[in-house]
Amino acid sequence: MTLLSVKNLRVTFETETGPVEAVRGVSFSLGRERLGIVGESGSGKTMTGRSVLRLIRPPGRIEADEMRFDGQDLMRLTEREMRALRGPRIAMVMQDPKYSLNPVMRVGEQLMEGLRKRDRLSRPQARAKAIAALEAVQIRDPERVMEAYPHELSGGMGQRVMIAMMLIPNPDLLIADEPTSALDVTVQAEVLKILDDLVRSRGMGLIFISHDLRLVARFCDRVLVMYKGRVVEELAAGDLLNAKHPYTQGLLNCLPRIGGDRGPLPGLDRDAAWAKEA
Amino acid sequence: MTTLTQWLRDPNPTSRRQAKLGQLWLGWLRLKRNPLAMAGLVIIGLLLVIAAFAPVLATHDPIAQNLQNRLQPPLTPGHWLGTDDFGRDIWSRIVYGSRITLYIIALVAVTAPLIGLMVGTVAGYFGGWVDAVLMRLTDIFLAFPRLILALALVAVLGPGIENAVLAIALTAWPPYARVARAETLTVRNSDYIAAVRLQGAGAGRIIWGHIVPMCLPSVIIRVTLDMAGVILIAAGLGFLGLGAQPPLSEWGLMISAGRKYLFEQWWVATMPGLAIFIVSLGFNLLGDGLRDVLDPRSAAK
Amino acid sequence: MSLIEIDDLSVTFTAQGREVRAVQGVSLRVDVRESFGLVGESGSGKSTILRAICGLAPVSGGSIRIGGEVLRHDRAFARRVQMVFQDPYASLHPRHTLDRTLSEPLAIHGIGGADQRVMRALEDVGLPSSFRFRYPHQLSGGQRQRVAIARALMLEPEILLLDEPTSALDASVQAEVLNLLARLRAERGLTFLMVSHDLAVIDHMCDRVLVMQHGRAVEELTRAELAGARMQTDYARSLFEASADRLMG
Repeated sequence: MTLLSVKNLRVTFETETGPVEAVRGVSFSLGRERLGIVGESGSGKTMTGRSVLRLIRPPGRIEADEMRFDGQDLMRLTEREMRALRGPRIAMVMQDPKYSLNPVMRVGEQLMEGLRKRDRLSRPQARAKAIAALEAVQIRDPERVMEAYPHELSGGMGQRVMIAMMLIPNPDLLIADEPTSALDVTVQAEVLKILDDLVRSRGMGLIFISHDLRLVARFCDRVLVMYKGRVVEELAAGDLLNAKHPYTQGLLNCLPRIGGDRGPLPGLDRDAAWAKEA
Repeated sequence: MTTLTQWLRDPNPTSRRQAKLGQLWLGWLRLKRNPLAMAGLVIIGLLLVIAAFAPVLATHDPIAQNLQNRLQPPLTPGHWLGTDDFGRDIWSRIVYGSRITLYIIALVAVTAPLIGLMVGTVAGYFGGWVDAVLMRLTDIFLAFPRLILALALVAVLGPGIENAVLAIALTAWPPYARVARAETLTVRNSDYIAAVRLQGAGAGRIIWGHIVPMCLPSVIIRVTLDMAGVILIAAGLGFLGLGAQPPLSEWGLMISAGRKYLFEQWWVATMPGLAIFIVSLGFNLLGDGLRDVLDPRSAAK
Repeated sequence: MSLIEIDDLSVTFTAQGREVRAVQGVSLRVDVRESFGLVGESGSGKSTILRAICGLAPVSGGSIRIGGEVLRHDRAFARRVQMVFQDPYASLHPRHTLDRTLSEPLAIHGIGGADQRVMRALEDVGLPSSFRFRYPHQLSGGQRQRVAIARALMLEPEILLLDEPTSALDASVQAEVLNLLARLRAERGLTFLMVSHDLAVIDHMCDRVLVMQHGRAVEELTRAELAGARMQTDYARSLFEASADRLMG
């Protein structure tokens, strides 16, 4: 079943030197599966993720032939209907929890805010649910974390809190934009595992946006490789090593490997043709 | 013309001067998009033109008295802004007065920010007791209302236009020192300062060559916005008889002279008042526009 | 004799009355023309060691010697040791052209012939000479990092301290910068002391590596030991296992 389908998505920014297209005709569809979007900086991967939530500020502009989520046409919804969708149906986890959590509010209050206002739960009920959500992301002492301010948490802990907060309303689709790039490698693995377990057990759709091809390959079912606003290759994660597009191959080969030979790393010769629209 | 703009917009300048001018050109393009800032710039441009061509623009000698002709209302033939209590042409006095105003502004704009920049960057860069001493000194100056402090200084130094400028400059620097210190504190721990320190640069070179350029934009904005205040203080000192001395046609002094006739002959005080108002407005508008152009936080985009 | 000798180094910061011991009793030796890596996660104190060598962090115990001499942060030191910083967006002065950035060290040390030297430096790091009067904001991240490397080499130092020189760059740009660093080291016989959180990068660039955690040295590994996964401590092993390079299996 298709949860989200996007056809010919374009994001354009009006600048002094004329319009700049950050995303140029991206199409994909997503069921209750895990889709990875990979690309280097400026490839339009983040803009693609934000477009789904229509979170592009002017002077940016979104156009698409189709953008349907669970039968609703996202392009036609009013801003009010969009707000009802963001959070309860489609949630987003950003790169750095430092900028996503309110610094002057205790973590517990932030977790309970939505439950109390949206679901009209009583304080004890909301608290119980918030603690359950923190336990679900394997925080061992949720009581203490509830009372903490965001700056008192480590990066990994903060990102877990963000994931817990986003998953409380049980959304159908989670968009994770570089959710672990700001974290240490050992913590990164833990957080990804938690995210992975939750997405699988709840049967959500996941869009995982990252610059790290190897990470995406491990945690997703399918991978879109983006270059300069276009999808240059789409392939099953297991087939990554058999990637056909020279850009995907180049991205894989230019990384150093432990125990590899120490000769110069293969560079990535960018071909102007990759950026052309088919 | 097109070759000049091309030269300015060249992404690969071939000399230091071209690179610098190219950046100035970009700033000018940004400023040009802000109509209010352009209005401010036009006002200040007019002020400069009027001061430069005062002898041509003035219809009369600004200090020649003509007691038969005193207190003529505006639009009198030959005196379109009227005359004051000694029969002097108000338009001509305002035109010549612009020179005094510019003189004061220029001197204050050169001295006060320079003192402030030096005190602020040195305090911010060295920190510790240097910072404590310099900043407490700044606090002492800041603790007095500016006009009162200027009054006290002029009272000690004696009235006169040079002493008024000195007094204004001495009371105007502390805010610049604060601004410069705040910028220095954010810049001083950055990697590019660490890099130049690692190359063996001394404190003087680091402060002057690397920190001051980062403080300049906020100080320039502050100076432009402060100019209105400087004009008002100069006028205030003139009004109280402690700045420019009669028969000089300083605007504040003119208002003071017109005060006696405010109800019957309103134009004597109102015309120089309008001049002060328009010039202050011009500087404020320009300052706001410059903030958009120079502020590193907005320019980063 | 080793070129860099660090013995029992401790660095303690005081912030708001609390003492933070960033580095505790770390010792290491780097030989002439060797490339030595420091690896660890955030807060392990690896960058602090580099900053302590440069006098940018307060040494509270132990000693650092360069070429057998006790460290003195004077102009002579600047000509022996230079550093490349992590974030190329923060390490170049935003209001100086590349020309100014590159000629500044020459001016400080009174070295003549700035014009030719600046052009040569740009060429050495693979930047076109037409970039000479550009400002940093007119360059990409990788180009900026090339400028930072050129700046560090202007004084022809023997030791280059590299603080996560590629962690802010895209993978393909990282490859280019690592290749550049490797080439410059071979050409000029430089000694590298390199910090990274990425074991694969360290393995590619360094002969020996010191694994650090919470300000302490955990384990020193040669390249062969690392490649053969012959580490003794659990922490070094978990770092090895978590390395993105291993994820592909």
